[in-house]
Amino acid sequence: MKRSLVRRPAAAVLALAFTLAATACAADDGNDGGSTKGAIKVGSINGVTGLFQTPEVPQAVKAVFDEVNAAGGINGRKLELISKDDAMNPQRSTENEVELVQSKGVVALVGSSSAVDCGVNRAAYKTAKIISIPAVGVDPACFNSPDIAPVNPGPFKLLTAMLYYASETLHHDKVCLYYTTLPGSGGGISDAIKEWETLTGKQLAAKDTAVGEGDPTPHLIAAKQAGCQAVLYNAQVGPWFAQAQTQGMQNVDFIMGANSYTDANAKLVPAGMRAYVGTEWQPYTDTTLPGNARWAELMDKRGIQRTAFSQGAVMAADVFVQVLKGMKGDITRKTVTEAFKKMSPIEYPMVGSPWVFGPDDKHNPVQGSRFVKAVDGKWQVLPEGFIVPGKK
Amino acid sequence: MLNSVIAGLSSGGGYALLGLCVVLTYRLVAVVNFAMAAVGAMGAFTMVSLTDDGLNVWPALFLGVAVSAALSGVLGAVLIRWFGEHNERTKAAVTVAVYVAVMAVGLRLFGATSTGARRFPAPFDGAVFRIGDVVVSWAVVVSLAFAVVITVGVEVMLRRTLVGLRLQALSERPGTAQVVGISAPRLATAVWVAIGALTALVIILVAPRLGGDFSTLGKLIVTALAVAMVGGFRNLPLTLGGGLLLGCLEGVSASLSEVREYRGVIPFLVILVLLWWRSRHEVWDTAHSR
Repeated sequence: MKRSLVRRPAAAVLALAFTLAATACAADDGNDGGSTKGAIKVGSINGVTGLFQTPEVPQAVKAVFDEVNAAGGINGRKLELISKDDAMNPQRSTENEVELVQSKGVVALVGSSSAVDCGVNRAAYKTAKIISIPAVGVDPACFNSPDIAPVNPGPFKLLTAMLYYASETLHHDKVCLYYTTLPGSGGGISDAIKEWETLTGKQLAAKDTAVGEGDPTPHLIAAKQAGCQAVLYNAQVGPWFAQAQTQGMQNVDFIMGANSYTDANAKLVPAGMRAYVGTEWQPYTDTTLPGNARWAELMDKRGIQRTAFSQGAVMAADVFVQVLKGMKGDITRKTVTEAFKKMSPIEYPMVGSPWVFGPDDKHNPVQGSRFVKAVDGKWQVLPEGFIVPGKK
Repeated sequence: MLNSVIAGLSSGGGYALLGLCVVLTYRLVAVVNFAMAAVGAMGAFTMVSLTDDGLNVWPALFLGVAVSAALSGVLGAVLIRWFGEHNERTKAAVTVAVYVAVMAVGLRLFGATSTGARRFPAPFDGAVFRIGDVVVSWAVVVSLAFAVVITVGVEVMLRRTLVGLRLQALSERPGTAQVVGISAPRLATAVWVAIGALTALVIILVAPRLGGDFSTLGKLIVTALAVAMVGGFRNLPLTLGGGLLLGCLEGVSASLSEVREYRGVIPFLVILVLLWWRSRHEVWDTAHSR
């Protein structure tokens, strides 16, 4: 009894001391993003380990920031990137958000690349009145939240561009869709199709949004029977093309999403089959394309892997820096959010339409796609330039 | 509709082969091996990595099959030596752990779905004949023939040969078999090696149809187990039929727009109903014989 009496106040004092210390630390770090001195802290949540791995993204953002810092920074203040790995784990993503936004007091999130960040953290970003410019927007929440504006078209605008390419550039009447739908993205896919229907007045000849793993032959037969001239497809590449070849579908244009744009996939397309991919930025495999030269040079100088995702990282960092350079007065979370909500569109050569944040309730600013075709086991860039739906 | 059924049937041979590997393992060594497809995928990827590096396909195939055989042998030896006295559930749990480990190592070595996909040699891709809109390739004929050979061959071996008799004794009463002089550990390890080699061949055969990356091939165990369930983990001809049924159901569900969204679930629902139907007269706690 006696001992506990002594201990309890001691524990209470300890707890109080901890609370005070924690509050002091937080205040010191500027937990409301209100710091006006020292480095400008910028956060990012990236999948570095786990199923969705993009370690090159935070490296590329940092490369841009280092370049800016070497040239004197923003109004004399250096940019500091604090990147956190969420390993595609929602729990960790939430913890990352708490640490970055509440403890570290970052002014914005730039160059996030996570499959779960937008979905689990959108509400927290809204409460904290902080903006996020993901390098790669993956889930639908990245494209319909008031405080998130990715620099990639994302799966839905890309789908509209792919449909538009099939019907307007390749001039096919019978366009079909064979897609694997990720949980939560069904509505986005329907909207993308509707947008294309409104623009072109055309309808899909066949549609199946439940393509899963397993033998693709039944789907290919269905496509054959529907007389599809172009097939939009987003699932596994190898078996699909091997069986399409067996079924004699050499005269069909197969158009795939950006997720299939890898060197390994180009090798999977058998000779004689027609495979296209809609890319989100200027195809990374050709460094002579507009905007790619600077990106490729920066990646090579820093020994960072050249991927489409690292293009997104450089673009996210670039647009962020450009807006910050135009700001007058203090750079805090509040002023940064205001600047992005009021900014004018930025023309960026790596994408098909200008990027802007703006005051809207949802953001999917980048539209259009540039197409590549599999030729002899490599992706060859097609000459048409960016295909932006509705823009001739 | 008919076209879809035929298209589905053409994939049935591959599914049947996967199911047969599971049933075979269970009948011969009394283990439900969750790591089976992953072990086979290791061999398949060894082969395809070697051919990508310029090695001729035959030595590459031999080395790939050898890798799977060796891996399977090691797994078998571990199960026999350390878990020999444990029940089937514990052994199955060990193979689940091995599955997780092999998948992790395989993903590290051979890459993920979009970056690690490989093109598997498809020597049987030529068309044999055409039914309606469906082109039937040699691969379909070869898978079906292979499945029939395994079904008939194993039945004959188990019933008519001395090795078969010993194997049956070993899987049903390992203790008694050892008492009467059958060298249990050695024979069982040999069976594991043989099953590993067979699985690698099956995975290589179905890869052009069912998936070109390590994780998809490793996860084929789900399909394999579903097919094996139709045969009740003991009946080889029924397992063969189960594979064809699964393919058929997939084909039909892909052609009907009303049920298309649930394509992945339908085969498993049907299998569930089948299992219930088959066990409707069984008495509670009936011991299953293999």
